Amino acid sequence: MDKELMQALARRAGLDKALAEFPDDVAAAAAQAASVMAKINTPSDPRAEPWPPMRAGDGL
Amino acid sequence: MNVGVEAGHRRLHYMTVSDAAHAIATKALSPVELMEAHLARIETLDPTLNAFIRLDGEAALAAAKLAETEAAAGRLRGPLHGIPVGIKDIIDVAGLPTTCHSKILDGNMATADAVCVSKLRAAGAIVVGKLSTHEFAIGGPSFDLPWPPARNPWNPDHHPGGSSSGSGAGVAAGLFPMALGTDTGGSVRNPASCCGIVGLKPTYGLVSRRGVFPLSFTLDHIGPMTRNVEDNALMLEAIAGHDPLDPGSAAVPTGHYRAALDRGAKGLRIGFVRHFHEIDMPAEPEVTAALEHVMRALQMLGADVRDIKLPSLVEFAAVNRVILQSEALAIHGEWLRTRPGDYGKLARRRLMPGAFLTAGDYVTANKRRAEMIAAVNAALAEVDVLLCASSMDPACRIDRPADVERTYPRQARTPFNVTGHPALAMMSGLSKGGLPLSVQFVGRNFDEAMLFRVARAWEQASGMDKKHPPIG
Repeated sequence: MDKELMQALARRAGLDKALAEFPDDVAAAAAQAASVMAKINTPSDPRAEPWPPMRAGDGL
Repeated sequence: MNVGVEAGHRRLHYMTVSDAAHAIATKALSPVELMEAHLARIETLDPTLNAFIRLDGEAALAAAKLAETEAAAGRLRGPLHGIPVGIKDIIDVAGLPTTCHSKILDGNMATADAVCVSKLRAAGAIVVGKLSTHEFAIGGPSFDLPWPPARNPWNPDHHPGGSSSGSGAGVAAGLFPMALGTDTGGSVRNPASCCGIVGLKPTYGLVSRRGVFPLSFTLDHIGPMTRNVEDNALMLEAIAGHDPLDPGSAAVPTGHYRAALDRGAKGLRIGFVRHFHEIDMPAEPEVTAALEHVMRALQMLGADVRDIKLPSLVEFAAVNRVILQSEALAIHGEWLRTRPGDYGKLARRRLMPGAFLTAGDYVTANKRRAEMIAAVNAALAEVDVLLCASSMDPACRIDRPADVERTYPRQARTPFNVTGHPALAMMSGLSKGGLPLSVQFVGRNFDEAMLFRVARAWEQASGMDKKHPPIG
């Protein structure tokens, strides 16, 4: 994620103060988010619904 | 058990919950004597271990005196009558602050007990105080918070694991015989692994989360932490149960978790998830050797052990992170926007990634989660229990941030927060450096009794419950 996009997303989330006071922490958070999705495989069925997580009542 | 000998010597603090409860019930031990032994132990060791954020010793002693009067009159509140318990400081205890180990909530007074605390009190347990955690159960171990991090009683220069750090350190050191922890990515099982005790993440929905500060709504669990398996089952019996006011609570039958404790491992089918620690995230050799030893011991006891394959540990961890960080941002967003400087550095870094994930990322992670749940259910259709690693390393030094950063993700606990299956971590041996090594057992949903059965078989074969840290 390039710096401009990172800053735009941070501002969109209202993290202006964090961006001003803790720019390294915001950058580290952005880098972490960018890397994590790359480790998730594409779900096998695009029509599948993301349930049961986590269904109450009768249990899982 | 010889209560007279125990009470007359310094090892009263290492009595098990079940022995102490029995001794109190038969009037062989006074709850006051038990509490005083623990308070003395706390006074001696807690300046080194920092397990407590807030000790409530006076109230605990007053409650013990009342428990003594009740026991003398033959009125026992329940199976934990007079037993001290420590509570992780993200869990509400009426009349005490819930700080979540953070400046953000300093002075945040709880007006009511969390459901799990209320159930423990109803069973007769006595709260001794609030325990150290990683900030908001995610940012730690940290030295930039209002309270210091807890330390490992096996070696105070080492990390006790987290985020239920004070719970793990305190139970292992004999500051209290049982504690409540919470587990969103492994936070009961990590300190259990690092401190050599028994920590259970129950099935999602088995223990009410009401009154516990959330980290991630669909991953959060509350679990018991004790020094042996029987005590863990006893504690679970007290805290499990449907809560119609917790939207994640399951309406299932509970109790009788000790029923199968002594049936042994003969005839059980155990699936060994080797690829977690051999391929996905190669463990330290002594961790691997200890896991092999556990596997062989269970085989010797008559279990049928076979290899099982699950999705990769790396992907499980990624799914956990995306869900956790998305949900955590929904909880912490306003404070992160207005008070970022009131968080410690680690929590700030770990709570902000949700701002850079999309709604599509969150849904995709949950779709994979559904597939992962199906994969674990399929594995557990073939076997009764899974055996796998918990931590890939012994506890690292607490004062070396690079070591903490390196070892923290090297674990196999997050898969079962993602899937909701019950998972128990306990000691598998000791490292050459004298630190606990660990093993994890995973069961079918709501089949905690089977987990306890296998864990107890290993415990009895190995004597792990008799090993205590060389402190005090």
